[in-house]
Amino acid sequence: MADQANFENDAMQYAPQLYSAALRMTRNPADAEDVVQETFLKAYRAYDTFTEGTNLKAWLYRILTNTYINKYRKKQRRPNEVELGELQDLYLYKRLGEHSGAQVSAESEALDLFVDEDIIEALESLPENFRLPVLYADVEGFSYKEIAEILDVPIGTVMSRLHRGRKALQRKLWNLAVEHGLVEPSE
Amino acid sequence: MSGCDNAVEYVYQYLDDELTVTRRTRISWHLKRCGNCLNAFQFETSLKKKISDGGKTEPPEELFDTLRALIEQERNTGDSDC
Repeated sequence: MADQANFENDAMQYAPQLYSAALRMTRNPADAEDVVQETFLKAYRAYDTFTEGTNLKAWLYRILTNTYINKYRKKQRRPNEVELGELQDLYLYKRLGEHSGAQVSAESEALDLFVDEDIIEALESLPENFRLPVLYADVEGFSYKEIAEILDVPIGTVMSRLHRGRKALQRKLWNLAVEHGLVEPSE
Repeated sequence: MSGCDNAVEYVYQYLDDELTVTRRTRISWHLKRCGNCLNAFQFETSLKKKISDGGKTEPPEELFDTLRALIEQERNTGDSDC
């Protein structure tokens, strides 16, 4: 069991990442700060139930996720019902290839079309049940098993949401490039 | 299923390092022989890196102070309850 007196020392290093994740969840800096504060308070109070030497980062993210869901999901009735429709594999790669008329290489400037604001807009555009797995895998670098534990869903669910969420993210990035007039719409 | 279809189906699990050794080896073997798939995999790798970097936002400077103060306050409240 962890000692509450060590909480600050152990947990504070994760504050920036937790804030960043909270911001992607709430899409609003004031709400993100609220969620992080509440997360830290809950985590501090429950720290003596945390088993030392186990995954503190995942434990904190689980509290963060639950805090966010309890605070904000009440507004939405059935957030898990959102579907994305069928999307092609390698969506962005193929669109950019069609656009340039040649194979897009990873080293090419194709990805330089996108600035950080586009990445953030695309992430935040995803429905919540797809956004959280994508955020946890791609931005936070959690394993499927950790994400399953954080979200309290089976690993198979994590994998399918991640797969579909990433394709939707790629579609959004493509649409942003079209909106910004950086590429011609296909078809 | 062709080697290419198989590789594309597992592209994310490959990038996330979530495949069994056998499947990973089979896909690596395919990528050594298929420039198209290798290229697509490299693109997805770069995109993943871009999302990882671009998706992060620095917190406001005062966040640490706010959190420390919050815990300090909670600690004192807890003590007085005893």
